[in-house]
Amino acid sequence: MLRLNPSSENRAHLLLTFVLFTLSISLYAPLQLWVLLLVTCAAVMRFSLYMNWQKHQLSVRTLNLMAVLCAIVLAYFGWELGLLLGMLNLLVMASSLKLMLLATRRDYFQLIGVQFFLLGAALVFNQNIAFSLFYAVLCLLLLMSLAFHINPSASWLILSKRVATLCLQALPIAILMLLVLPKLGPLWQMPTAKGAHTGLSDKVTPGDIAELARSADLAFRVTFEQDVPPANQRYWRALVMEEFDGRSWQVHPYRQRITDRFWRAGLPFTPQVSGAYYEYQVIAEPTQQRWLFALDTAVSQDQHLWQNHDYTLQSRIPLQSALAYRVTSYYDNQLPPALPQVDGRLNLQLPEGGNQRTQAWATELWRDNPTPQAYIRAIASHMRQQGFSYTLKPQPMPVDPIDTFLFEQQAGFCSHYASTVAYLLRLNGIPARLVTGYLGGEMRTDQYMSVYQYDAHAWVEWLSEDGWQRLDPTAWVAPMRIQYGLEQAVAHEQSFLADMPLSGLRGMAVFQALRGWLDDMDYLWSRWILGFDRKNQQDLLKALLGDLSPAKLALFGLGALATIAMLLALYHIKRWLLVKRDLPNWYYQKALALLAHSGIKRTKNQGPADFCAQVEKQVPPLSAQHFTALTRCYTNLCFRPLSPQQHKLQLRQMRDLLTKLRRSLRLDV
Amino acid sequence: MIAGYIQRRMNKWLSRRIPPAQQIFLNRSNIFIFPSRFGFLYLSLCLALFVLGTNYQNNLILLLGFFLLALMLVSLFASYLNFSGLILQLGKLNNSYADTPILFPIWLDTQEQSKAGKIHFAWYGNKAESAAELDSLTNPVTLSITPYKRGVFSPPRLTLSSYYPLGLFRCWTHLAFNAQVVVYPTPIAKPWPLTTKHSETQGEHAALQSSQGLGQDDFDSLTEYQQGQPLYHVAWKQAAKGQGLLSKKFAAQVQQSGWLVLATTEEDLEENLSRLCFSCLELDAKGWVFGLQLPGKEIPPGKGQAHLQACLTALAMFRAV
Repeated sequence: MLRLNPSSENRAHLLLTFVLFTLSISLYAPLQLWVLLLVTCAAVMRFSLYMNWQKHQLSVRTLNLMAVLCAIVLAYFGWELGLLLGMLNLLVMASSLKLMLLATRRDYFQLIGVQFFLLGAALVFNQNIAFSLFYAVLCLLLLMSLAFHINPSASWLILSKRVATLCLQALPIAILMLLVLPKLGPLWQMPTAKGAHTGLSDKVTPGDIAELARSADLAFRVTFEQDVPPANQRYWRALVMEEFDGRSWQVHPYRQRITDRFWRAGLPFTPQVSGAYYEYQVIAEPTQQRWLFALDTAVSQDQHLWQNHDYTLQSRIPLQSALAYRVTSYYDNQLPPALPQVDGRLNLQLPEGGNQRTQAWATELWRDNPTPQAYIRAIASHMRQQGFSYTLKPQPMPVDPIDTFLFEQQAGFCSHYASTVAYLLRLNGIPARLVTGYLGGEMRTDQYMSVYQYDAHAWVEWLSEDGWQRLDPTAWVAPMRIQYGLEQAVAHEQSFLADMPLSGLRGMAVFQALRGWLDDMDYLWSRWILGFDRKNQQDLLKALLGDLSPAKLALFGLGALATIAMLLALYHIKRWLLVKRDLPNWYYQKALALLAHSGIKRTKNQGPADFCAQVEKQVPPLSAQHFTALTRCYTNLCFRPLSPQQHKLQLRQMRDLLTKLRRSLRLDV
Repeated sequence: MIAGYIQRRMNKWLSRRIPPAQQIFLNRSNIFIFPSRFGFLYLSLCLALFVLGTNYQNNLILLLGFFLLALMLVSLFASYLNFSGLILQLGKLNNSYADTPILFPIWLDTQEQSKAGKIHFAWYGNKAESAAELDSLTNPVTLSITPYKRGVFSPPRLTLSSYYPLGLFRCWTHLAFNAQVVVYPTPIAKPWPLTTKHSETQGEHAALQSSQGLGQDDFDSLTEYQQGQPLYHVAWKQAAKGQGLLSKKFAAQVQQSGWLVLATTEEDLEENLSRLCFSCLELDAKGWVFGLQLPGKEIPPGKGQAHLQACLTALAMFRAV
């Protein structure tokens, strides 16, 4: 069956098509290519119907066939996508099929509803300022589409004004609700997307981190409450790696099993803490991973965080979108092993065979320096004397990497040094492990610190009698790296972000200023919009109310409701304010309303005098007398030039007459 | 049965709440407002966004959800304020024939406030019949309804509804106008014999009867068509040439007069009344003087518009005793 064209010149349909199309394009990463193609087809079809190039819609039978095919394809690919991406693809697919057959009002409204939901889902994937503004525009366009649907003949200008007015009225209420409504924790576990992981990886082969260091993407931002740690103390721990196979370091499977067991039992680790601390909020960029970043012995009260036994923090769900969390870091605190036997045993394990020269050299060195401290000092002085260098472009070391590094290349990136030193320590019975994370952070205007991917770093922790000690071998060969960051440390070889497009621009002052400004915007956005959490909310309430007692909170809730009611009243109060400002008219209208109540109505073509004559005939003399006087006052006020005193007098007279009229009319009834 | 009961209660309540009037001012007392079907979909959407935002701890999604909710709240007021303050007045009604649509012109007055959006008109309980856009209003809005029986017809309640501004709320009212239309019987083109009263002569009667048939009059001239003249007098040839509607005027050979008498009400009452109706129109068009006699009612011979009205009304209101 062919249907007539409901979309011809239909601007509601045009806008809806545009929104679905651009929304899908903005979701190109999570959507499958064939779904995007389907959306494009649907959009082109609808557009040609709008332009009347095409007169008929697809038949229902064709469309059902297509729907079945699409469902099969989606079911086939959907298994690998996981629930979240599967649902998203399904929604977009269903929307585009619906768009192909947009016939009834019901179809249209359903599609609009789905678009609003898709907008929400899109905000899971993209949250920065540009995307948020873009989605806000799409939201407005959807509302415009609705307005056109209800009011098809109105012009663009009038409708945009109307929609804008409504939105401006709604926005303060929405913001108030966001600020005041209590923020709940996640109600249930939501599915997350299996996307491409970014940032650190859970397996480190020396050389990998050098790859990461070529990226200028943001890793996370930190806002400190009071003190900011000095540059050489900004070791952001993320992952602790205890399994070494001679080439790569990774999280030990046994450690992983222990973590899982504690997780299932719901027993997080509570470190013993004392001494001085830093308090800060971290806003981590999405990584699709669970691990988080914190300094030293970090403790967090956040619900969605989990404390591990190796003093790291992790999120309960993979970081689908930016995550804000609060941490307290005790920087003077020791790190005693949380599970002494496990920590000791795991961190002495050695790969079987390989690196023969290193093993021999380590035995020799230990013979001369039989205490851990002296041994470490000896390694350090060896590296300094041999002229080891720090480079972003290390040579590949496929066979016996530690031997090659230590005795042939003598140049490497932080992970080469860390890996070698941890191995050397383990060879002589000192438990040691590799820690990856970030070192550094760029402060901007004393407000916040940005940590970029190129700040990625690896260092060593070894177990002394006092607990785990941090040891950064990179500091021996490249002290600049610790103090001033990577850019200074590799300045001699000009390799910093060398393969980024426009890397030459980084030096220019204008570019720097622009970048800083954009960074600030982005920071404020993430801090106050994305990172607005329960603590912020409580702080806000405390600032407003002082102590939070239940009674005060209840009053505050009522107050918020009253504010919303007042806002609503304010939007519409104008109407009668206008009338009241014109007092004579207001009194006169009141009198007319009184008369209308007793059945005498003024028709439009009757002037005041005319009407007065009519009233005189219809009401008892007393009321008539009052009304005549009132009409006289009214005409005087309207048409005669009066001095301010006379004006006032007449007005007062009018008011009195109005009262008298009311009384006399009531008596007559 | 229960549905019928509820309907009766509803009607009773409505007639107390919104009594019939000539002119109706839409205000608090006669406007109903409730979320439309889309409004409920929209509310569940807000809830879904709230859950999504809470579970992903995403403030932007929460803000979107709250914004949409606030928008609904604001549009509640916009919807009501746009609808209230309208003044509706029923225009002049013409009497009509059974099975012929009656036109109800309705005049909308926006009282110089800017009103917008589409207003749908429907007879109570029926589907929307027509719509008017308040932005580009052309008065009057004309509705039609077809009565199936002769007699006095009062129109059912009129339902006005509006989905302005975003379709989230339906604002509606069921109005009743106190207007009555007399519905004449449907004319059936089968002339009723004209009789003379006993005082008049038999011969005259015969002459009357012979000259009563159709098309026996001579064509005289064309005059401008006026409402109420029978359609079969329209000069369609001229109308097709685009000269407008002209009515053929026939010259009666003789000025005649007579009575239309309905003696019995037992058989084919409705058909007889329809034939009488036709004959009245026919005789009036010819300009004859005629009287109408029904059981229990007699209209003395006369001519002219008022006389015709009286006859037709008598036919419309006739009840068999």
